[in-house]
Amino acid sequence: MAQATVLTAMSSSAYRPQKRLRPWLISGALLLVCALMLFPVFSTVLLSFKQQSDVRRTPPVFLPCDDEAGNFNLAACRFVLEGYGRVILLQPNPSAPLGFQITGRIFTTYLPNTILYAFASATFVTLIAAMSAYVYSRYRFRLRRLIMVGLLTLAGVPILTMLLAMAQMGNAIRRAFPGYEERLYMIVVYIGFELPIAIWIIKGFFDTIPRELEEAAKIDGCSPVGALWRVVMPLALPGLLSIFLLTFVGVWNEFIANYLLMSRQDLRGAMYGVYDFIAQSLSSYNALAAACVLVMIPVVVIFLFTRNAFFHAMLEGAVKG
Amino acid sequence: MTFKKRSLIVASLTLTLSLLAACAAPAVPAAPAAPAAPAATEAPTAPAAQGGESVVTTWYYYDQNNTDPQANERVGNFYIAKTIPLFNEAHAGRFKWENVPRDYNLVLDLVTAVQSGGDVPDVMQFDITHLPTYLLNNTIQDVEWAREQPWFSDLDPQAVEACTVDGKLMCIPISESPWLVYYYTDFYKDGFPKTPEELLRVGGELSKDGNYALTYWGSTAFDGEAAGRYFYQVISSFGGRYDDGQGNLKLNTPENIKAIEFMREVVKNGLSSESVFAGNFEEEEAFKQGKAGAFPTGFFIAVRYLNPLKSPAGKDYANIEEAVNDNAVALAPFVATEGNKPGCSLDLFGFVVPRTAKNVEGAKAYINWIMDPQNTVDWIVSAGGGFPTSASLRADPAFRTELYKQAQAVGEASACRPWFGSLRRIPEAKKIITNTIYDLIKARPDADIAAELTKAEEEYNRGN
Amino acid sequence: MSVASPQRARPGRGRLHFNRTLPFWLLLPGLLIIAAIQLYPALFTVYLSFQRIEPGTGRYIFRGLENFQRLFSTRQFIESIGHTAIFLVGYCVLAMTFAVLIAMLLRQRVKVTAFAITVIFVPWVLSDVIVGVVWRLFVVPQYGLFSPFFANPSLFPPRGISVLTTPPPPTLIPGIYFPPAPALIFLIFASAWKVLPFITLLILAALQTVPNEVLESAAMDGATAGQSFRFITLPLILPVLTVALFNLILGGINGVGMVFSLTGGGPGTATEVLSYLLYSIGFARLDFGLAAALSVVMTVINLTLVLLTLRLSQPQEER
Repeated sequence: MAQATVLTAMSSSAYRPQKRLRPWLISGALLLVCALMLFPVFSTVLLSFKQQSDVRRTPPVFLPCDDEAGNFNLAACRFVLEGYGRVILLQPNPSAPLGFQITGRIFTTYLPNTILYAFASATFVTLIAAMSAYVYSRYRFRLRRLIMVGLLTLAGVPILTMLLAMAQMGNAIRRAFPGYEERLYMIVVYIGFELPIAIWIIKGFFDTIPRELEEAAKIDGCSPVGALWRVVMPLALPGLLSIFLLTFVGVWNEFIANYLLMSRQDLRGAMYGVYDFIAQSLSSYNALAAACVLVMIPVVVIFLFTRNAFFHAMLEGAVKG
Repeated sequence: MTFKKRSLIVASLTLTLSLLAACAAPAVPAAPAAPAAPAATEAPTAPAAQGGESVVTTWYYYDQNNTDPQANERVGNFYIAKTIPLFNEAHAGRFKWENVPRDYNLVLDLVTAVQSGGDVPDVMQFDITHLPTYLLNNTIQDVEWAREQPWFSDLDPQAVEACTVDGKLMCIPISESPWLVYYYTDFYKDGFPKTPEELLRVGGELSKDGNYALTYWGSTAFDGEAAGRYFYQVISSFGGRYDDGQGNLKLNTPENIKAIEFMREVVKNGLSSESVFAGNFEEEEAFKQGKAGAFPTGFFIAVRYLNPLKSPAGKDYANIEEAVNDNAVALAPFVATEGNKPGCSLDLFGFVVPRTAKNVEGAKAYINWIMDPQNTVDWIVSAGGGFPTSASLRADPAFRTELYKQAQAVGEASACRPWFGSLRRIPEAKKIITNTIYDLIKARPDADIAAELTKAEEEYNRGN
Repeated sequence: MSVASPQRARPGRGRLHFNRTLPFWLLLPGLLIIAAIQLYPALFTVYLSFQRIEPGTGRYIFRGLENFQRLFSTRQFIESIGHTAIFLVGYCVLAMTFAVLIAMLLRQRVKVTAFAITVIFVPWVLSDVIVGVVWRLFVVPQYGLFSPFFANPSLFPPRGISVLTTPPPPTLIPGIYFPPAPALIFLIFASAWKVLPFITLLILAALQTVPNEVLESAAMDGATAGQSFRFITLPLILPVLTVALFNLILGGINGVGMVFSLTGGGPGTATEVLSYLLYSIGFARLDFGLAAALSVVMTVINLTLVLLTLRLSQPQEER
């Protein structure tokens, strides 16, 4: 299987240098690529720690480390938390546990929303997709192939072209049930859009679990539901987790649907928060960079810890759709 | 397999994170912009009476919870935060003011919210530019009741006329702000030029060594805002306009062509920097740093947003008022051709009441409270902008400073009107106008102006 | 294995029935949600595209193909198709080329490989909006890190350029929007940077399936690196390249977040691609009928692409 080999590439046991190219040359080239790929991220982090007077300088400086004579001097480096301060906006509040309270909107409103959307969507997508995928993997029935191909087709259709209709749908629901919790709609929309591809990926995982195990469990007296719960699910757990993570990150990073479907600003997520922050801190690029850094840290950390799960799921999914 | 263990760690981390978020969440509803819960309770009919108090909701692009002392909208943010308790105190037992902060897209948001039965404010901040969009989409209700109020007779009849549609008062005009030119006296030692030719000549001499004669909003950002800003200021100064008075776009006129030729010259001769086309208010930076000599802009825009300043001589000013008092910056009308008054776009600020507002009584109370003279002054200075439309308030010391005196003189010397004239589909019109003019002055400075203008007219008028 | 649960000892009729219909119940929630969130809006969009919505009342009025007529006659639409096409070509070529190169490097399995795979992958988890902001900050006139580089007249004659504001050069052939504006090229680079890790991973996975023995014996027979790539590797990874290409095209047509935060469609209309046009008509101009017509056109393009991909990658997926 394709992904298995990528993963072995990551463990050093499969070390097999080719004769024609020297390893150090390849290492050097790879490190160069890494540096180039990381440069935008790195420079944004750097920017977020600059002070306003260094942000607005012509010509721009990469490292704010020149002394008054204009020479580079490490001791003169000016790194400040000004930008972060403006995103977080700590305010004294005697009743808060530490005497301080975070009042930045990204933290009080947008990030909690995003966590809710991402967590709820990822949980339900994993659950529902696992249920469906199990059937597609284990049962043969009429229309199966048609539905599967249909799902795959839908997985390719992006959210953007549907937004108009979904905004109208959202309006209709709002008119019909005034006062309903709009966030539900957002979550259902995310589930609907992440589901088809998730089903396909999980089906791939299920397909690799030998059917004999379930047969054995059934012979031992397990019901099909029991076999699913006790035998298949535990074995598929890594796969399910990777779907969870993939959906989580996908929803975390989603902007346009959230922006256009949620009429109330306090129901929108962190990506909108960043977009909104552009308008709030027009000339303060350090604050804008800080907002970007703070919003991207969680997904980057999740990714760094669970990268194999991502690679698993993405390869499975990409080859399919 | 370390992968499984890692995933479990992350899953539990995520869970903890979301639990934390859930714990943090209760801090949010404490804010006036309360999500979920209140909406559910107040939805069915009128606002839920809590001990006889009903909620008055406003929409501003100001956020009372944003305490950032450098935020773009800090003046408005602080104003709302300061004023909410005052209003609530004055109306204890009857009304409670809740402000829902919105982004700059609040006009279209309101249109959509009214159409879709979403949450709407009871009263909303307003600019005359929004009026056609509201009328076209049946978004607002009339405010005829205002005519009975004691403060009404004091309002400028012309401003009231601008708010009157088919004999009905649709908005409440509280302040107005003309478009004019701010210039550094270090750059323009003999004052700002009076004619386009003079500006090109003087400006050409000033535009060197990283300095520019002018900076202005020339970008196509924000779906074509430039149409109502610099572009209109120039066009109207040449005696031109955008419409034919019948709701049709009419761009191909000799005046407009001359104006566009002038804008071309400005760009071609390097009187303005690249940043004027960059959007996101990047053009303001050149003036704030004393690198651009003049900035044609709205009177109130500079008062609100152009700070801090560093004059070309290197002196720092906290805001434009300080710079004007120190005679480093002065105000002037834009240049004009023979026989024309300098043109200007007129902003008119005030309130509208959405058609589906739940608490119209609350909206009345809110507007009446704002119209109390001292509150009006506060509102105009910190939230609205410009001059009061009511004659007696113009005598208030707040509007008798050097800055306001100069602005008033300039306003009187110019011919100011809202830029859209009789056009009705504003979002579409401003996008077409801006794209066309931008294209002619920046992207294709050799293209045939008349032909392009005609094309733009056809595109808009097809929809009439 | 913990087995015999109490119910199993005496299976009742209802229980048995439940088990037989179990697949149905398992499928139901997924199908319901997909029908509600994907199928219904798709059909509704088609319906909307034949309507005109009266601004004041919100009433729908049937207008047949009027919206499509309006769409095809607007200059903006034609122009944005041109921009989208240029964007797609640049984006795909750039991403594919670099992905193949990086994947070839990663395949060599040196000590830093595992580290490199992780690091190279970071851009993929970032959001479009953030990537747009990050790249915009590079080229803000005067203050952006790269802006002095682009403004250098000797590198970019005659007067240097400013990525966010320099208009496109005069078109070579009228009606063809080529050469594109610097902003569009920059957008292509930013988008390619973000998608590169994903494509690299795909190609790397495919490269791993090329047996080393074959390459080694080819090398022994005197094949150059180029030859063995052309005649051994390429044919083997071609199906995956196709899949990657379609992934790229689909993502490219529909990505809008980056346009939002990087250029906002500007300067002028130089970066107004189809997806941004859809936003601008539907949500900034509130012309729902026209936007629905555009949605339908885009959906047709998308579906065609998806079905093509399915056909081309057929051998790999359905068993």
